[in-house]
Amino acid sequence: MKSSSCLVSLLTDDLLVNILDKLSGDDSATKSFRSVCKAFHQAESAHRTSLKVLRLEFLPTLLNNYTSVDTLDLSDCPRLDDGSIAALLGGDTSIDLSWTRRLRRLVLSRCVGLRWAGLELLLGSCTRLESLDFSSCGGFGDREAAVVSCVVGLKEIEMDRCFGVSDFGLAKIVVGCERLEKLSLRWCDEISDLGIDLLSKKCVFLKHLDISYTKIGGESIRSISTMQRLEVLAMVGCGLLDDVGLHHLQDGCPSLQVIDISRCNNVTSLGLTSVIRGRNNLLQLRAGHYYFELSTIVLNCFMGLNNLQTIRIDGAQVSEHVLQIIAGSCKSLVDIGFSKCKGVTDFGILQLVLGCFRLKILDLTCCDKLTDLAISAIAESCRNLLCLKIESCNMLTEKSFGYLGSCCFLLEELDVTDCSGVNDEGLRHISNCSNLKSLKLGHCINISDKGLSNIASKCSNMIELDLYRCKGVGDEGLAALAMGCKKLKKLNLSYCIQITDEGMQCIGYLKELSELDMRNLSKVTSAGFSYFASGCMKLAELDMKNCDNITDSGFLALSCHSKNLIQINLSYCRISDVGLYKLMGNLTCLQDAKLLNLTNVTMNGFDLALRASCFRLKKVKMLALVRSYISMETLNFLQARGCKIKWD
Amino acid sequence: MNILGQLDGQMNGIRDAIRNCDWDPRVMLTNLSIMEQKIHQLQDLVHIIFGRRTEAMNGSEALAAQQQQLINADLTSIIVQLISTAGSLLPSSKNTFSSGNPFGNGLGQPGGIGYPSGPSGTVNNHVNKVEDHSDQIDLIVNNVEDHDLKDEEEVDEGEHLPPGSYEILQLEKEEILAPHTHFCLICGKGFKRDANLRMHMRGHGDEYKTPAALAKPHKEMSSEPSLVKRYSCPYIGCKRNKDHKKFQPLKTILCVKNHYKRTHCDKSYTCSRCNTKKFSVIADLKTHEKHCGRDKWLCSCGTTFSRKDKLFGHITLFQGHTPAIPLDENKGMVELSDHGEANETPSKVARTDFDFSPAAFLNIMDAKGTADEDTRIFSPLDFDISSLSGFSDFPRPPFEDSDNSLSFLIPSACNYPRGTERNPGSNNLK
Repeated sequence: MKSSSCLVSLLTDDLLVNILDKLSGDDSATKSFRSVCKAFHQAESAHRTSLKVLRLEFLPTLLNNYTSVDTLDLSDCPRLDDGSIAALLGGDTSIDLSWTRRLRRLVLSRCVGLRWAGLELLLGSCTRLESLDFSSCGGFGDREAAVVSCVVGLKEIEMDRCFGVSDFGLAKIVVGCERLEKLSLRWCDEISDLGIDLLSKKCVFLKHLDISYTKIGGESIRSISTMQRLEVLAMVGCGLLDDVGLHHLQDGCPSLQVIDISRCNNVTSLGLTSVIRGRNNLLQLRAGHYYFELSTIVLNCFMGLNNLQTIRIDGAQVSEHVLQIIAGSCKSLVDIGFSKCKGVTDFGILQLVLGCFRLKILDLTCCDKLTDLAISAIAESCRNLLCLKIESCNMLTEKSFGYLGSCCFLLEELDVTDCSGVNDEGLRHISNCSNLKSLKLGHCINISDKGLSNIASKCSNMIELDLYRCKGVGDEGLAALAMGCKKLKKLNLSYCIQITDEGMQCIGYLKELSELDMRNLSKVTSAGFSYFASGCMKLAELDMKNCDNITDSGFLALSCHSKNLIQINLSYCRISDVGLYKLMGNLTCLQDAKLLNLTNVTMNGFDLALRASCFRLKKVKMLALVRSYISMETLNFLQARGCKIKWD
Repeated sequence: MNILGQLDGQMNGIRDAIRNCDWDPRVMLTNLSIMEQKIHQLQDLVHIIFGRRTEAMNGSEALAAQQQQLINADLTSIIVQLISTAGSLLPSSKNTFSSGNPFGNGLGQPGGIGYPSGPSGTVNNHVNKVEDHSDQIDLIVNNVEDHDLKDEEEVDEGEHLPPGSYEILQLEKEEILAPHTHFCLICGKGFKRDANLRMHMRGHGDEYKTPAALAKPHKEMSSEPSLVKRYSCPYIGCKRNKDHKKFQPLKTILCVKNHYKRTHCDKSYTCSRCNTKKFSVIADLKTHEKHCGRDKWLCSCGTTFSRKDKLFGHITLFQGHTPAIPLDENKGMVELSDHGEANETPSKVARTDFDFSPAAFLNIMDAKGTADEDTRIFSPLDFDISSLSGFSDFPRPPFEDSDNSLSFLIPSACNYPRGTERNPGSNNLK
């Protein structure tokens, strides 16, 4: 014990910081580090810069301990509202509020209970804030935007899905925050051309603009084209945008590097040409999902894009000639997406990878003409490949995975969903890619516990595993998984009908697990489920729809242990009034619940459960016929707190 | 009378000639002969009147006055022509004119001279009241030679009359504010229009029903102004006042009335819809009431706009201006800077919020929030006042709608250093 403490004291602060840099992102490792000794604890406290809190009540203590925190994420706080902000900041003058002046970035995403008064109090004290995210705050409107506009130093604002913010709120923000560099307005469908025009004139420093899914038209593009510093422009799913509108962009925005015009239904290849023509410094082009044909004019434009690193033309009609031109002119490509493209053949891929050997990300989802030849070419040429998506490529056999396993050692992400060629032998090959972090095996009905054991034994870095409808996978496979993939955070076991209590017990050993899909596991009973619940303390999202053998005892165990659970789907479960009440009342972080077809719950039970959790809920889904049995008081209360109730 | 009318064109020609050249014997001859003709016409007219009067000795005084007025106006016209013609003979008329007002002194009835013209006919009425008001009216004729050429640029936006090329009339405050300008000399009833008065007069006897009595008086005179008439506001310091360094005359009597009421009078008409906007001219109120409730786009400076794009254009133009956020739930319906209402809304919000936090916090927040909100949305005018001074004398200033803003802008805008010495033209005024 003494020697170890001596050894530890030899490490200087610089070294500790270096170690912590390496550990960043790994929560449990950081936690272990912190508990080594006082010096380590202090080093960690001083090193941490960002904090995501689940419970607001611990916030003051945490912020006083972590003196370097400049990023605060409150998006998962269930109880955040004007009152709690007032209690946090306003009430006691003895509370040290120096942390507010340290904050540079604040995330208030999904804080549906917050309104302008609380926001004003919070932002009023965070005077040095540079970045603010209040996306998905459905209740936010122009008044809240006006409050935000008082933080004059803001450089980044994300306000996606703030349906209440109109041109007026935007005008407030663009006039108030003149130094804005990044603005995201996704789904803000109250914003019109007038607002965008004002934005283009007032925010001259803007570099990043996202106006996806808004109702802007060509006039906005004309205004945007005057923005000299704009580098990133995303306008996904702008249905009112057409070729004429995009034409305004032709000579404007000289600094543009990233363009995303995916899902703009009224844009054809003509619009695409006016966007990309002559833009030699374009780095990323995303133009997926509007099913255009790549004409020769577009191809001529492609020839000029020498610096292009990313191209996504999902759903386009491509030919071998197209792939040849892309490979010939865009030599620096690292990220290619041809998902659902018709006309992608082995020969085309062969030519592509010969040109683009730097490829790191390749999306060939649903390119069903590809055979083992294409995969062998990819594996041979692109040794640096990190991510490969070949969902529904049904002509691939186990040989393909042999090529991947023997060449692509850096592979981190592999999506082979619905590839009938994936079998235990294939999985054995894949397991050679020991860096794999994400593996999607959904609908792979030919794999069994044996193959899964191979993966589990070699891929210890696995974080996400999808076994959706893998009928061959049973308890043994899960046991191997629990032994090998200790870092697993996300697991999908839905419809793996062989899994029993034993398998669930094994899952309980995955201490890092935070998301579990276990729909329709009818062999799992309360006993196995209770064991699992007591083990996975970090569980945040649970989908247990149709697990009809789990009864109240299982749910009680869940309510006792899974204190961090944020989201749950209980539809078609055999939970009773008591179970539901306990669950909704005890799970102090629960914010999103789907409660469809609970046959053992009485109408009064729903009301009680909602009352027990109405402080925290942000989203509830229930059957429409339940509605009339829930008291008006409860409904009003939920709505006043911004809770979204979806009646099915 | 008709012959007189035919002469109008010729008289105009004389005026032009006088103005355009200094001395031309042929022009002078023509002028003199025309004037001679005109005097003969006048003689005939007097004869006719004389004849009538002997026929109907019981004719009322009113008719006599009217006839007198007719003759008077004709004489005036002739005198003006004569003086203009004489003026062109002199190498410099400065001495003659600066020594005194030849019109006022020579005629002994200064009020009569100023009246011959009046687009709406309102001016003529003053003749009826000559006995009462003659002292309130000043007639000023500027002399061309007395003005520096540089002053010409500053006369009026739109029209560029050289400063001496028009007469300046100045009505007194009481005159401007009088509700009716045409009074019946028999019963004293007032009318807004002379035509209405003439219609009224028919009730006082058959003599008023003759075509001559019903005819528009002095038609020939009104269409034959000796000089273009322009008007001065009696408010000292106003840019529309003739003593102002950058004097900009008003075009018509109606302009004078509206200008004076809008700029120098209390706004006594309140909009019954919004109970906020006030006007001093009833026509303005009516115009506003047509649009009240539709002018829903409000800027933080207090200016309202009928269209959203106009508001955004305004915001783009002015640094720091933002749209005022509607305080209630009704989107777009803006409460005009009504602080009482603004104070109510936050508490409403808080009430529906179901906040179970200590009430003290909420109260603090409410008070604070409201105060800040008000100052932000209804911030005082933060643009440069001096930049607006040019606007202040528009017949309808663009900022008139925000009633507070204008009323304090005007005095400051008019406080120019009034260097009368430096302005040679002002010596001759008054």
